[in-house]
Amino acid sequence: MYDRILAGILLVLSGLIVWSALQFDVPFQYEPLGPKAFPIILSILLSIVSVWLIIKPDANNWHPTADIMKKLFAGLVLMVVYAALFKGAGFILATFIVGGAFSWLFGETPKRAALFALVMSVISYFLLTSLLQLNVPSGTWWAGVF
Amino acid sequence: MDVFNHLATGFGVAFLPLNLLLVLLGCFIGTLIGSLPGIGPINGVAILLPLAYALGLPPESALILLAGVYYGAEYGGRISSILLNVPGDAGAIMTTLDGYPLSRKGEGGRALALSAISSFTGSMGALLLMVVCAPVLSQFAVKFGPSEYVWLMIFAFTCLATMVGSRPVKTLVGVLIGLVLATVGVDSGSGVLRFTMGIPNFFDGVDFLVVVIGMFAISEIFVLLESWARNDLGVSPLGKSFVTVADLLAVKWVVFRSTIMGFLIGVLPGTGASIASAVAYGTEKRFAEDENEHFGEGDIRGLAAPEAANNASAVGAMVPMLTLGIPGSGTTAILLGALMMFNITPGPLLFEQRPDIAWGLIASMFVGNIALLVMNLPMIGIFVRLLSIRQAYLVPVIAMLTFVGIYSIHGDSFDLFFMVLLGVVGFLLRKLHFSLAPVILGLVLGEVLEVNLRRALSISGGDWSILLDGPITYVMAAATVVAVIAPSLMRSIKMRKLLAKANEVED
Repeated sequence: MYDRILAGILLVLSGLIVWSALQFDVPFQYEPLGPKAFPIILSILLSIVSVWLIIKPDANNWHPTADIMKKLFAGLVLMVVYAALFKGAGFILATFIVGGAFSWLFGETPKRAALFALVMSVISYFLLTSLLQLNVPSGTWWAGVF
Repeated sequence: MDVFNHLATGFGVAFLPLNLLLVLLGCFIGTLIGSLPGIGPINGVAILLPLAYALGLPPESALILLAGVYYGAEYGGRISSILLNVPGDAGAIMTTLDGYPLSRKGEGGRALALSAISSFTGSMGALLLMVVCAPVLSQFAVKFGPSEYVWLMIFAFTCLATMVGSRPVKTLVGVLIGLVLATVGVDSGSGVLRFTMGIPNFFDGVDFLVVVIGMFAISEIFVLLESWARNDLGVSPLGKSFVTVADLLAVKWVVFRSTIMGFLIGVLPGTGASIASAVAYGTEKRFAEDENEHFGEGDIRGLAAPEAANNASAVGAMVPMLTLGIPGSGTTAILLGALMMFNITPGPLLFEQRPDIAWGLIASMFVGNIALLVMNLPMIGIFVRLLSIRQAYLVPVIAMLTFVGIYSIHGDSFDLFFMVLLGVVGFLLRKLHFSLAPVILGLVLGEVLEVNLRRALSISGGDWSILLDGPITYVMAAATVVAVIAPSLMRSIKMRKLLAKANEVED
């Protein structure tokens, strides 16, 4: 069933690709094929394999329980939060919050998870900035505060 | 001898202090990542790639580091396979079959030492084959024109589809998704923006690193979340046992055969360690059929064969990557993408124009494998202790490294959100039994395929018959047809043999 849903999405996608490829406004073209042909060939192939997949899907053997779905969703929320906080709140705070939550999600007690996340975020901040000299955000929200 | 001159150049590069440090570091990190349960070479290379890029290393040094992580992880993968029965990636599954029973018998030390030596022999043998084959192949490939390249890529995708993954259709879907992703951004031929949806971040294409990290590392976090269980997997004790000379003599031909098989399978574009180790294991099992074999119950031959083969294939996979610019496996596809980020297009001319990169990498692999043997014999205890690291500490570190790595490229939060989105897509694809390596292969080769196709048709003025013009294109078209037919043919022959056997039993 999931196979068919995915194949359906891919079928729609390949249609969209053809449609938007045909809209390309090509002011000049030196070669016979141009920018349109390759995506169109790809989407024709993609629609063929999608139809094949709709006709002969695999039996669905992924049955996540409600518990697992909750966990996966929690992980997704955490990563979106991490992405949202990363630049604004800065590496240390974002990593402390999200790292601690992840550690807790994987069965660590809240206290020890928080301690671990604190140590990890502070140590790795200084390792990454001073030793590896990477571009690690210190937080744009605090720019005026400190 | 020409080869010795080249090797001398290579060792000149590999023995520079920075590169020597990086190869040791790469091998160490690789073994470390490989030995962590559930995390294989492809994730290790993916997580470290943006860091290596952001560090501003010269291309040959970055490649030496990442390659070290790659084959280091092939070594490390056997530790969790043997002691925990948890393979780090598909290539290590065969190692668990006989490795884990050995460790259950209290012979973990013997199994680890034997597999380290098999891995070392496999790598070294394959490296020697590579030194001989790579220059020959690259000289041959210089004659390739655009049509030949188009065929080469079609051949690579065909091999991938028929031999990798659960079903050919699903692998093809993966390849096509990758190829479509590669068309996003400004078209180099005409300057037209394609499929950017008006998002400026997509104007210069979908970032290769974001796709790799999202699809592999982020989806791995979801997989870990799903399969999470308190880490109460019993680590088998190492035991006092060690490999004996008699063991080594007993497996010498097994290792020899598996090395050659592993190398050849590795060279085939698209097919990597998982197939090499499975084929080697199956072959050795058949070879040993009449003798007193205990395959599956801790036979040392069943341990040596896949270990030699998967390391040999890791080396073999580098041959088409360096000489043709066509990666031989998922992980080499990432390495190829890494080279392209440094504006170096691997291909037949790499050996002539940038011998420092090609031969430096090869020489560094000799150094790295010796270092790995040392790390894996006397220092094995350190890595074994890592097995008991809890995921509660591991996952936050993985998440942190991926976010830092991606953020440090452009300093833009958009990349982080896009990476998480790709992680969700990658996870769903994995759950539906689509393998992700074809997506990466498609993404890496997409532009090359399109450019060569358009170049070929420019030469012919739009006449498609140029794709079948000249002896090399005929051979490659034939090879593609063989790649389509051969697996199903072999399967039917095998079935017939099995059926014949079943009939005999009935009679």
